[in-house]
Amino acid sequence: MVSYDDGANSHPSRQAGFLSRALFSTHHKTIGLQYMWLALASVLVGMVLSALLRMHTSWPDTAIPFLAGIENAPEKYAAMRLLHGSLMVFFVLTAAPQMGFGNFLLPLQIGAREMAFPVLNRLSFWMTFASLAGMTSAFFLRPDSGVNVWLASASVFCLAGLFGALNFVTTTIESRAPGMSLPRMPVTVWAWFINAILSMLIFSVLLAGCCAVLSDRLLGSEFFSTTAFLANQPQNLVKQGSLPILWQRLFWYFAQAEVYVAMLPCFGFTTHLVATFSRKPVWRERLVVLALCGVGVVGFCVWGYHMFATGMNPYAPLVFAVLASSLGVPAAFLLASWLGTLWNARLRLTTSMLFAIGFISLFVAGGLSGLFLARHDLAKASVSEDFVIGHFHLVMGVAATFAILGALFFWFPKMFGCCLNETLGKVHFWMTFAGVYAIFMPMHWLGLLTQSHLFADEQRIALASAGASIRTFVTVATIWTVSAQGVFVFNFFYSLLARNKVEQDNPWAATTLEWSVASPAPEDNFGSSAPAVYRGAYEFLAEGGKDFAPQHLSPEQLTQERQ
Amino acid sequence: MPSATSTKEIELVVEHTGGGGGGGSLPPAGGSGGGDGGGGKKPGKGQPPSKRYFTGMVVGIISILMFFMALASAFLVRKGTSGDWVPVRIPMLLWINTAVLLISSGTLELARKRLAKGDGAGFKTYWLLTTALGVGFLIGQVVAWRQLAQQGIYLATNPANSFFYIFTGAHAVHLIGGIAALGYVARRNFSEANVTRSVAAEVTSYYWHFLDALWLFLLALLYLGK
Repeated sequence: MVSYDDGANSHPSRQAGFLSRALFSTHHKTIGLQYMWLALASVLVGMVLSALLRMHTSWPDTAIPFLAGIENAPEKYAAMRLLHGSLMVFFVLTAAPQMGFGNFLLPLQIGAREMAFPVLNRLSFWMTFASLAGMTSAFFLRPDSGVNVWLASASVFCLAGLFGALNFVTTTIESRAPGMSLPRMPVTVWAWFINAILSMLIFSVLLAGCCAVLSDRLLGSEFFSTTAFLANQPQNLVKQGSLPILWQRLFWYFAQAEVYVAMLPCFGFTTHLVATFSRKPVWRERLVVLALCGVGVVGFCVWGYHMFATGMNPYAPLVFAVLASSLGVPAAFLLASWLGTLWNARLRLTTSMLFAIGFISLFVAGGLSGLFLARHDLAKASVSEDFVIGHFHLVMGVAATFAILGALFFWFPKMFGCCLNETLGKVHFWMTFAGVYAIFMPMHWLGLLTQSHLFADEQRIALASAGASIRTFVTVATIWTVSAQGVFVFNFFYSLLARNKVEQDNPWAATTLEWSVASPAPEDNFGSSAPAVYRGAYEFLAEGGKDFAPQHLSPEQLTQERQ
Repeated sequence: MPSATSTKEIELVVEHTGGGGGGGSLPPAGGSGGGDGGGGKKPGKGQPPSKRYFTGMVVGIISILMFFMALASAFLVRKGTSGDWVPVRIPMLLWINTAVLLISSGTLELARKRLAKGDGAGFKTYWLLTTALGVGFLIGQVVAWRQLAQQGIYLATNPANSFFYIFTGAHAVHLIGGIAALGYVARRNFSEANVTRSVAAEVTSYYWHFLDALWLFLLALLYLGK
């Protein structure tokens, strides 16, 4: 007998009440879904915040909730931006693709019953939740204590991330089903695995940084030279004792590392979805895995070098340049593989596939502006706030969200046993796709136009007025895009409550192990024995009959099915 | 459909795709190389379920190491860029503490040797001795901090002091975890557990020796980084 069920991970008995199951269940699917709910709540709040921030920028005279009297308190505006950033980056972009989808799907995709350390997994979820509560409450506190609470919450998040990463790495190494050799692992599993290794390294450094800054603030230690920091800050703010810039810097310090952590699983999703809906194997699968490793290695080296060179100083100026260019080579490989898979394929344009293609489009568009930032001399002219914001929102924020939505449409049947409505999904896709381009492309122009130092004064005044109208356009586009998400929220709850059971367990004709069991996935995943794996994850065969070979069917079973 | 895959078939697959893996009846030894495996490794049959604890411990140790490396880099950079650096004179007591910790690693290994020989009483004795030495080290560290405080060397008085306290403090926090693990292995009833006492003892010993080596590194950093 294989060591599939060693009894180590038996989850609480079924008769346990709903509440105790929700709070204490160590089952990987329960925990994964809880991360998803956390992400859904955070993304809705974060989106409303972004609309409020935009409205304040465009119509500063209008009274806006939370932003009343903002003229006298610039740190309130900074705190609100920090809250928007924290919610989106920590609890949506980090939590959903890795912890949410990963926890739910990793054991299913490698043929395991549980994560390696289920109790640690549960602990990790509650720490993430505590961190969310802390970061949200930091917004309502006075700036000085707010920064402390935010830092403490960020430390807790780092610890939760470390525990999660420990679990992912160990599970992937130790719990694979017989036959699931490394080359046969789906690209999604590779992405989670590499990402977990990366998070393990990054979050430890971030944790050390948080501890040091927190100790500086609370205990008066001197890890970071405050005098050197204050000397580089605007003097009027130093005298007031309020430094809104500090909020932003702290966020950037994290965001730089989080880019990789958020993007890696999204690369995995996109590769997986593109192959499945193109009905073709992933083009140059091994190169894709290598490219994912490359993203991890390069990401850590660049960020790590920067951190070590400045002694993890969160106040140090940021090196966008190296960051942007370092992603270039592995990203080009990935792009080539996606296009190679799409080439001459009989595409199935489901909503899920549309979102995957949308991801590619946004990734390319955002990546191109990264080239401007990667050149030091160009960066000087173009690194104005709007340009940078436009760039990283396209690449990291919106593209990643598209990958997450694509994955959600794809795995929704596996999670809840019913499909999301395709028509509503497509309406939602096109409204959002148009909306995000309308927001972030003009934002790039804003960055280039109004902040350029190359023009004479009178030209600049003319450009500034043009800039004002572009700014209003961006705000209107933001409101449009945020309202478009209403379609998604409606679709989500409507499909969930209507409970139109999927007719087939494998509605997308996908090959990986999670589709070999019922939808929604049964409590014990694969029943009493581990599945066996006979082939790679993307064997879509061109010739007639069924056009795909699932990983779990033996060659004999496959021929039987064909007949 | 999944129920159709019987154990026999699974074994067939494992052998069929087994690459360079060990023979059928041999338990796969080693091969937990931190995720860079070229692609032949399979969790074959007879895999001890406890293997995940070793992997988890190794992964955890790498992660803790990164934490201290980050602080060490901050130490070096901060030292290089500040004009107000007054190095801490390492108290004599710290050298004694170091000896205590080194001895505890030795007694831990002696305890494991006894356990391997089936000498339960001998194991208990040496294991408790290790725990006592660990606690002794911690008490020694606290006394050393108090000595420094009496000399007016506080966390906030100089960046060098800040680093001294965070290095020793963070190491102490990790050591408390180690002592908790030692106590857990000594007291737990392993008759119903899915790991044996010797596995638990071995995993704990990895962590303990790691903390030992980490302490030597930190001490060298503080001493040489004057």
